[in-house]
Amino acid sequence: MFKKRPILKYILSKGLWYLFTFFATVTIVFILPRLGGANPVDIIMGKVASGLSSEAAQKKEEAYLKEFNLVKTDKDGRIIRDESGAPVKTSVFKQYFNYLCMTIRFDFGTSFLYYPKKVKEIMADAIIWDFFLQVPAIVLGWILGNILGALAAYKRGVFDKVLFPASLFISSIPFFAFGLLLLFIFAIVWPIFPSAGGYAENIIPSFSWDFLSSLGFHYTLPFLSIFLVIIGDYSIGMRSMGIYELGTDYIKYAKSLGIKEFTIMWYVFRNGLLPQLAGVAILLGQIIGGALVAEIIFSYPGLGTTILHAIQGNDYSLIQGTSIVVAIMILIANFSVDILIGIFDPRVRAGIKGV
Amino acid sequence: MKLLKNLMKEFTFVFGVSIFLLVLGIAFLSPLFINVDAETRIGMPYMPPSADMWLGTDHLGIDMLSLIIEGLRASLYVGLLTGVIATLLGTFLGIYSGFVGGWVDEFINMITNLFITIPYFIVLILISSALKEGRSLELIAVIIGIHTWTWTARSVRAEASSIKSSDHINLAKLNGAGSITIVFKHILPYLASYVFMVFIIQVVTGILMEATISMIGLGPYDSVSLGIIMENAMKYEALGDGAWWAFIPAVILITFIAFSLYTLNTSLEGVFNPRLRKE
Amino acid sequence: MKCLLRVLLIGVLLCGLSSCGKKGEQTKFPREKTLYLAGFQWGDPNTFNPLTDWPAFPVSGPNNIMYEPLIIYNTLSGTIEPLLARLDEKTDDYISLILNPEARWSDKEPLTAEDVVFTYEIGKEHESVPTSYVWDFISKITTEKIVDSSAGNVEAEKIVFHVNKEKENNPLGLLDILQSVQIVPKHIIVPLLEKHNNDFSEFQKEMMDKNPVVSGPYTLFSYSVQKIVLKRVDDYWGNKALHNNRMAKPEYIIHPIYKSNDQFSNSLKRGNLDVNSNFIPRIWLKFKDGVGSWYDEPPYFVPASIPVFIINVTRNPLNDREYRRAMAYAINYKDVIELAVSQYSPELKPGLILPFGTEKKYYSEEIAEEYGKTYDPEKAKKILEDAGYKSIFKNGELEKVVNSKGEKVPPVFIKCPVGWSDWESIVEIAVKSMREVGIDAREGFCDESLYWKCQPIGDFDLLMTTPADHLTPSLPWARFEQLMSSRRWKPEGKKMNENQGRYNNPDSKDYNPAVDSLLKVIPHLTKEDEIKAAYYKLNKIFIEDMPSIPLCYRPEEFYDFSTKHWTNFATEKNPYAPPQLPSFGAGRNMLWEIQLAE
Repeated sequence: MFKKRPILKYILSKGLWYLFTFFATVTIVFILPRLGGANPVDIIMGKVASGLSSEAAQKKEEAYLKEFNLVKTDKDGRIIRDESGAPVKTSVFKQYFNYLCMTIRFDFGTSFLYYPKKVKEIMADAIIWDFFLQVPAIVLGWILGNILGALAAYKRGVFDKVLFPASLFISSIPFFAFGLLLLFIFAIVWPIFPSAGGYAENIIPSFSWDFLSSLGFHYTLPFLSIFLVIIGDYSIGMRSMGIYELGTDYIKYAKSLGIKEFTIMWYVFRNGLLPQLAGVAILLGQIIGGALVAEIIFSYPGLGTTILHAIQGNDYSLIQGTSIVVAIMILIANFSVDILIGIFDPRVRAGIKGV
Repeated sequence: MKLLKNLMKEFTFVFGVSIFLLVLGIAFLSPLFINVDAETRIGMPYMPPSADMWLGTDHLGIDMLSLIIEGLRASLYVGLLTGVIATLLGTFLGIYSGFVGGWVDEFINMITNLFITIPYFIVLILISSALKEGRSLELIAVIIGIHTWTWTARSVRAEASSIKSSDHINLAKLNGAGSITIVFKHILPYLASYVFMVFIIQVVTGILMEATISMIGLGPYDSVSLGIIMENAMKYEALGDGAWWAFIPAVILITFIAFSLYTLNTSLEGVFNPRLRKE
Repeated sequence: MKCLLRVLLIGVLLCGLSSCGKKGEQTKFPREKTLYLAGFQWGDPNTFNPLTDWPAFPVSGPNNIMYEPLIIYNTLSGTIEPLLARLDEKTDDYISLILNPEARWSDKEPLTAEDVVFTYEIGKEHESVPTSYVWDFISKITTEKIVDSSAGNVEAEKIVFHVNKEKENNPLGLLDILQSVQIVPKHIIVPLLEKHNNDFSEFQKEMMDKNPVVSGPYTLFSYSVQKIVLKRVDDYWGNKALHNNRMAKPEYIIHPIYKSNDQFSNSLKRGNLDVNSNFIPRIWLKFKDGVGSWYDEPPYFVPASIPVFIINVTRNPLNDREYRRAMAYAINYKDVIELAVSQYSPELKPGLILPFGTEKKYYSEEIAEEYGKTYDPEKAKKILEDAGYKSIFKNGELEKVVNSKGEKVPPVFIKCPVGWSDWESIVEIAVKSMREVGIDAREGFCDESLYWKCQPIGDFDLLMTTPADHLTPSLPWARFEQLMSSRRWKPEGKKMNENQGRYNNPDSKDYNPAVDSLLKVIPHLTKEDEIKAAYYKLNKIFIEDMPSIPLCYRPEEFYDFSTKHWTNFATEKNPYAPPQLPSFGAGRNMLWEIQLAE
C-alpha cells in the first residue's frame, strides 16, 4: 500500500513524529514551572496573608495545598502529616500522573492566580479576541503582501523602487514601537481613535449598531499595527521568490512559447507560494498569545497578558493549559503545511526521498 | 576583491553599510567628542532637549544622550551574540539534517518543532529566577538564540536538501568522499553566502526581540539597552506627557540599524544571485 | 434583478441591526448616569463570593458598596462613623455596637444580629474562611434586644464582641476587624452551603455573580474581561437612614480593566475615567485636562503610610547596628521624593510615626531635633569610620568595603519586584547614593513570585515593602507591630507574617523585652498622655536600632479624578469626605454628593 501511495506514507510518518513532539511538549511544560522553585501557593499566600497571625496563615496555606492536590490526604480528606507535623507533599510522579489524566480529558484544572476560575473558562473568554484580532490581520496582510510582492517582482521599475524600500522600512520598525507610534499619533495627539479596550467602556455587547461600530472603531489601530507589518514582511519574501522564479529556465521557455502573461504569473505565484505558506503557518500557530504586545499597548482583550501573568506568578495550571493549547495549534499548523507541501510539491508525490 | 568592487557599485550596499557604520560610530566613537555619563542625575525628570542636554533627561534626571549611547552598545552586543548562537546552531543542524535526510532528518525536525512550541518567555523567567544575577544581556541573547535557531535550521535545511541531489555533490560521492568532507568542502562554501545573509537577519532579530522582551518587562536587570529605554518611557508615561525625546530617538536608532542591515542583506542577495539585480 | 435583491437584503439586515438597539433594549450605559472608576481590579474577574480569599471588585475589601461592614473608620477625622451599626461602648474587655434596625438586604429581608453572628461564626466552623483569624481577637459574641433611647426609643439589637484575653488580647485590633469584615446574608449562604454538603472548599467555588443579594447601595449587574458593571439599588436602606432620603447619584458604576499603567492617564485626560487610584506620575501636567487631586500642589496626595527597606539583621554586615544607621543616613531622600515618587511625599522625618494627620498627636519634635536630618552623607561616612569600616574606591566607583578586622564586607542586595515602577526607582536611587558614601549595596530585582516567596521566610538582605498600608484605627501601633514584633518568633526559613527581618530575637542575649511589652500594652491604654509616652519610647528604640529604613511617605491611594463629567469630588478645599475612592471607607459618601458637570 505504501509503495503505491507515497503521500500516505509521508503523512503517516510525519503525523507520528508530531504526536511524539506533542507528548514531549506536554512533559516539558509540566517540568519547567516546577523547576523554578517559587510554588504558586507561596505566591497566593504572599498576597492574602498580610494581617493574619502566623498560625492562621499556616492553616490557610494547608487548605490551598490540599485543594490543588499538592499534599497527600487520607480517605477522609484530612492531610497526612509527618513527625514534625508538616504536611506530606504529593510526589512529583503522582502529580504528573494526575496531570496526564486530566489533560487527556481536556480538563486543565483550576487556576491558582484566578482561583476559583477554571483554566478552560479563562481561556474561552479570551481566545475569541485573539482570533478576532489576528486572523483577519494575518490572512489579509499575507494575501495583500504576496500580491504586492509578486507585482513588484514582475513589474520592477518604479513600482518596485518605491514599494520595496517602503516595505523594508516598515519591517525594520520594531513592531511594538509601531503600535506605540500609532497610539501616540492617532489616539493621544489627535484623539481620533480610542486608546483602550475592545469596545467602548459604556457599551453593552449586543447585536446592535452601537456595539458593532464601537467594536470596529477600537479594532482599527491594533489591526493596523499587525496588518501593515505583515504586508511589509511578506511582500519582501514574495518579491525575492518572484524574481528568482522569473529568472528560471522554465519561465523563460514559457515566455518564448508565447504563453499568456497571466498564466505565467500564476506559475510564478504558485511556486513562490509554498515557502510563504510555511511562514504564515507559524504565524497562525502562534495566534494564542501572539498579540501580547498589541494587547499591552492597546489594552486589547486577549490571552497574551493572561499567559504572561501566569508565567510571572508561576500558576502551574494556567501555564500548562495555555502552553498545551498553543502547542497544539502550532503543531497543527505545521502539520497542515507539511500536508499541503505533500500535496502540492510534485517531488513528494513522486516519493523522492529526503524532501 | 572582485566581490567588493561589485558590491560597491550597488547603491543599496553603499547605503546600508554607511548607515550601519554611522550607528557603530555613535556607539563607540562618541566618547571622543562628548562626555558620556549614564549615571549622574543632572536635572529634573523629563526635561526637554536644550543646549546642554541634546536629548533632555529621563525619568531619573539622567542625560538621555548618554543613555542612548550606552543602550546602543548593549543592544548591538545582544544582537551579535544572538546572531552567532542562532547561526552556529541552526546552520550545523540544518546542513546535517538536510544532507543526511531520512530518520535523522525527521528527528531533528521534531526537535526543531519542540523548540518552536515552547514559549520562550517561560524559559526566560525560570532561568532568570534560578540564577543569582538574574537576567543579564547574555542570558537574554542565549534564550533568543535558542528560540530562533529553528528558523535558520529550516531555511538552511531546505537549501541543503535541494543541493544534495545536485550534480557536483553526486560527483563527489562517486569519487568516494566521506559525508563530513562533502559537507565542509562542497556544501558549506556553496551555502556560505546564504549563511552569511541568515546571520545578518539573526542579528537584527536579536536586537528587535531584545527590545520586545524588554518592553513586556522581561528585560535585563542591571543594564541599559535600547529596549529598556523604550520600556522606561512607557512605564513612566513619557509619551502621555509629550516627552518624545525619551522614546523616539531609541526607536529611530533601532529602525536604522534594522533597515541598514536589511538593505545590506538585499544588496548581498543581489550580488550572490545575479538575477535579482536590475534587469 | 439579482443585484437588486441582494442590495435589498443587505438593507433589511442593516435596518434590523440598528433597530435591535431601539427596541427598549439597552445598548449602552448613559454617560450622565454612570461613574467610571478604576484601580482595584487587575486581570479577569474571578469570583464575587464574599467568603473567598481574593474576590473581584467590589467584593474585595476594603470596598464597601456591595457587602458592608458594621462601622466605618473616617481616616480624615480619625473617628468611627456608623454604617450597619453604630459604636456604643469600647472598653478593655469588650466592644459593643447597636445595629441599625432599618438595615435591610436588597431582597427586602431585614439584616439582623443573626446575620452578623453568622458572618463571624462561620470562621469558627470552617478554617479556610478568610476571616477565621478574627477568633484570635474575639472570645465570644453576645446579642441582646434593647430599646435605643438615643434613637427615638426604637427597638434595636445590641451586639457585644468580647475581647479574647487568652490569645491576642487586643481591643484596638478588634476595632480594625469590626470596620473591615463585610456582613453576608445568612439566608443566602446557608442554602448554598447545604447544596455542597457543608464542604466549604466546594462552596468557595460558587461565583455568586447573578443578581447577588447585598446590603449596600450597589449590586453586580454584569462583568466581562474588560469591565465590571454595578447597578444602583434604588431602595437601599441607607438612603433613608443615613443620607436624608437621597439616592446615590450615579445609576451605574463601571470599573474598566486596563492592562497597562498609561491607560489610566490616557482615559483620565479624555474624561473616559472619572476617579482613579492607580499611580500616575507628574499629575500636575494633567491638571489642564480637567484632572484634579486632593491638593493642588505638592504633595498632591495625602500621605498615609511609610514604605521601608526591611533589614535582615541576622546577616553580616547588617547585624551591626552602626552599619544600618549609616545606611539610613546615606540615602538621598530628596532625590527619592523628586525623582521616584513625582513629589508625592512631604519631606521625610525620622521615625515611624507620621508627623501629620491622625498620628500627629503622637509625633514628637524632639526626636527630629535629636536625630537631625535624614539625608546626611557626611554623618554616614563618619559613622562608618567610627565603626571601623574602610571603603575602597577605584576610578571614582566603590570597589569594596573592609571592616575593622580586615575582612571584606559582603555586598547587600535590596530585593524588590520587577515592574513596580516607582519602587524600582527608589531602589536605584538608594543604591546609588549608598555607594557614593561607601556602602556596598546593590539592586536585587526579581520576579514577583520570588519576592512573595522570600518575604515571609526572611530570605533577603534588604526587602522593600510597605507595612500597614491601609489606614485603620490601630495605627500607628500596627506599623510598629509589623516591623518590630517578636511575639510569634520563627527562625529564618519558616514563615513569619511580621518582622520578617528577624529583629530582636527572643532567644538571644541581646533581646530587648521593652519592645514586645510596649507592643502588648499600647492597645489597652486609654489616657492620651500615657499613649503618647509609650509611642515615644517605641519610636526611639526604632530609630536607635534601625531594623528597617523608612524611605518616604506614601498615600493610601493615589486618589485623583476628572472633572469632565462629574464635579464636587472631595478635595482639601472641600473636605467633606476623606481622599478615598467612592467605593471604600468613608469615601463612599461622595456617591451622594457628586454632581454632573455642566
